[in-house]
Amino acid sequence: MIFLRRVPRRIIQLTCFVGAIVMVWPLLPWRIAPRLFQEISPFVALSSSIAARSIGVGTVLALVVAVVSSFKKRWFCLYLCPTGFLLENTNHMGLRKTRWWRKLPPVGKYVAIITIAGAVVGYPVLLWMDPLCIFSSPFAVNKATNPISVFLVCLGLGVLVGATFVFGMAWCVRICPLSGLQDMLFAVRKALWTRLTASTSAQKFSAARRVFFAGAGGALLAFWARRSGAARYRKSDTLLRPPGAVPEDRFAGLCIRCNNCVHACPTKIIHPDTGHEGGLAGFGAPVVKFDRDYKYCLETCNACTQVCPTGALTPLALQPKNKYIIGEALVDNNVCLTALGKKECDACELACPFDAVHIAWDEEQYNAYPVVNDKCIGCGACEVVCPTTPVKAIRVWTQKPA
Amino acid sequence: MRRSIAAGGLFAAGSLMPVSPAIANEVGGQPVTQSPPQIEARIPATIAGDKVVQPRREVPVLHQTSILVVGGGPAGTAAAFCAKRMGADVTLVERYGYLGGLATGGLVLGIFPLYDRNNKQVIFGVGEELMKKLDVLKDGIIDRNKAPIYPTIDAEAFKYVLADMVLDSGITAYLDCWGVDAIVDSKGAVRGAVFESKSGRQAILADIVIDCSGDGDIYAAAGAAFEKVKTSIGLVSRIGNIDVVDMAPGKGSEDANAEHKPLIGKADEGRPSKGRVNDFNGHAGNSTPAPHVNWLNMRGPVGDALSVADLTELELKHRHGTWSNVEKLRQRPGNEQVYLTETAPQLGVRLSRLLDGCKKLTVQDIRNGVKFKDVIGYSGAYANAPEFQIPYGSLVPAKVENVLAAGRCISAEFEVADITRLIPVCWVTGQAAGLAAALCIQDKCKPRQVNVAKLQNLLHQQGAYLG
Repeated sequence: MIFLRRVPRRIIQLTCFVGAIVMVWPLLPWRIAPRLFQEISPFVALSSSIAARSIGVGTVLALVVAVVSSFKKRWFCLYLCPTGFLLENTNHMGLRKTRWWRKLPPVGKYVAIITIAGAVVGYPVLLWMDPLCIFSSPFAVNKATNPISVFLVCLGLGVLVGATFVFGMAWCVRICPLSGLQDMLFAVRKALWTRLTASTSAQKFSAARRVFFAGAGGALLAFWARRSGAARYRKSDTLLRPPGAVPEDRFAGLCIRCNNCVHACPTKIIHPDTGHEGGLAGFGAPVVKFDRDYKYCLETCNACTQVCPTGALTPLALQPKNKYIIGEALVDNNVCLTALGKKECDACELACPFDAVHIAWDEEQYNAYPVVNDKCIGCGACEVVCPTTPVKAIRVWTQKPA
Repeated sequence: MRRSIAAGGLFAAGSLMPVSPAIANEVGGQPVTQSPPQIEARIPATIAGDKVVQPRREVPVLHQTSILVVGGGPAGTAAAFCAKRMGADVTLVERYGYLGGLATGGLVLGIFPLYDRNNKQVIFGVGEELMKKLDVLKDGIIDRNKAPIYPTIDAEAFKYVLADMVLDSGITAYLDCWGVDAIVDSKGAVRGAVFESKSGRQAILADIVIDCSGDGDIYAAAGAAFEKVKTSIGLVSRIGNIDVVDMAPGKGSEDANAEHKPLIGKADEGRPSKGRVNDFNGHAGNSTPAPHVNWLNMRGPVGDALSVADLTELELKHRHGTWSNVEKLRQRPGNEQVYLTETAPQLGVRLSRLLDGCKKLTVQDIRNGVKFKDVIGYSGAYANAPEFQIPYGSLVPAKVENVLAAGRCISAEFEVADITRLIPVCWVTGQAAGLAAALCIQDKCKPRQVNVAKLQNLLHQQGAYLG
């Protein structure tokens, strides 16, 4: 009997695992498929809905998962979660044969509480611990242009698989915020069901105290992260986020590091951040870098804005996307070939898809310079064609208020 | 052996007496069938009412030739040399007192675009021959075969090479002669051109005219359709006494592999301030073969190259502006001893007229990398444009017969012409036009009927690259 009950679970798990790959690859014709995959997670849907003050398409799916999970304990983990399936099988081959992790405290629950409390403040602190985004992240590896990016997109799943192989199922059972949230939903449902009769008041009090402290800590952490993120952005010169990005104080929190945008970018200019641009809080979040020859943010593309599951990148149609300001192009006239009288160069003027750069004749100085007007959105078309080496004369910088 | 100076050509243009048809016959080696024209006394223009009227008058025929090349710039000289090499009787007419046009008189010393996107040279033929002649001269050319750096020539060396080639090849040349009109027969075909010089207004009859005037003066006068465009007009200058210590390693301007070279000025620390102008904190201009001398390009304001008022204004203002910029340059440490060697004798007119030819070369053609059946050469990759083929059709006017265009005034869309106007591409179109004209004479056909396979074969023989 046990055998018979196990076989269907394995088959459902395997089906879901394959389905997950199909969704994030993406082998489906719909552009938003990768995004729906992460939106199934109630943890992501709840936190990001609260933080972004908006509800995504996939929230309906998340609601179904949440309702079913509150009746059948860890139903999502046991049947649907592709990360769970991967780690379960890793554990079977792994070194730990005892179930030592059962002694661990339920960390995942507090991760979820901290994150949801942070989301209320607008910064879901530990949203990146969601197992679905950790699963989908390595699929962006085909758009990683350097070894560091390869390392960053594979880091999450690599650590989980490695740790599970060595230490066993600690992540799934005790640390994962999605399983923690499911446990809470189950407990809340059960508590409501039994009208709070079973538990003693002392237990309730200590549990409520822990929840309160975790929530307060999460809110404080979120508050601090938003302030430091905003301060960092004010100081930064080179921090460029993909189009549609919410203001920087909330971006690093809302971003779950699923690397869907990295995966979606046809010109491979979106890279996971090493923390060099966005600081520790922005580790792994996407940044735009115009470091590839002739590759810029295409005026014909809004792919990255369509795949974000949390609203860190607002879904934008092509027209509004081409109005979204990524950065501003600035010219160093001491480098520009035209300004220095070195060459007949108007590469930036010709390359600009928005008619924002013009080589203007300055009668006062009796010289010509590239002049950037208000139409510039920082797509980088000028930067990537600028022929000067080693420094480009025209570069896209973080936009500053005038 | 240098000949032709005494025999006619150069001296004939300068002499006060018009050349008699007998001498022209001797020089050109062609029988003059017409009776000797009667030279009437010149009648001045008169005022009729409120209009100035030039009376109808006979223009003396200075010379008769098979192929007349109007304009002695890169395209014109290339056309003349290649046609002459085919054994044709070639006459070259140039407005200034030297050959080379903007490459020498305009001080456009950088020879670009020579290479494709993979830094392989795609322009050979007569251009390569000329550069080889410069190779053997001291300080004639630098940065040869160092892609992606473009070679830079010395204007005086190039004038010397071109003058030598004209003297050696037996081309009949008339300098200080300004082509003002086309001679068109009753069927609308071009039969020669009229010139103004110190000897007055004179005509040269020819079977084929190659318009290398840059402004397309001859085909426009003959009634060919064209597009008039306006571009920035600058004035290039050369500055001397550039700091030896600073500039010694700085040959060339686009060497991707040489970080140590001061290719550019000192970059701003961090974010460039918006609207900060160039304070010449760095190295103005590009190295030239002459030691411690840089050539300094100027973009200039947009002007009408076919308006004498615009040209005059710019000639005057540019020389003022160049001087004050050199004064500014001297303020920078290390540049105290810099002086203005010269401003270019010619304004840097980029484009004026663009022919409406049998084939208009379009931006789309370049983007799509179109391969033409009548390809006559390549342009190198420039800015964000890849290398592209130039078809013979872009040299032939859509309607008017017996005239070919070469140089910057060929049939191309504005953005494409912005590349085909550059020196090496002018060599390419000039060579093709010269050979096509020689084929017309050989095969007794019109330029639009030229056997393209034969033309391509000839281009191959003369070392041109056709892909």
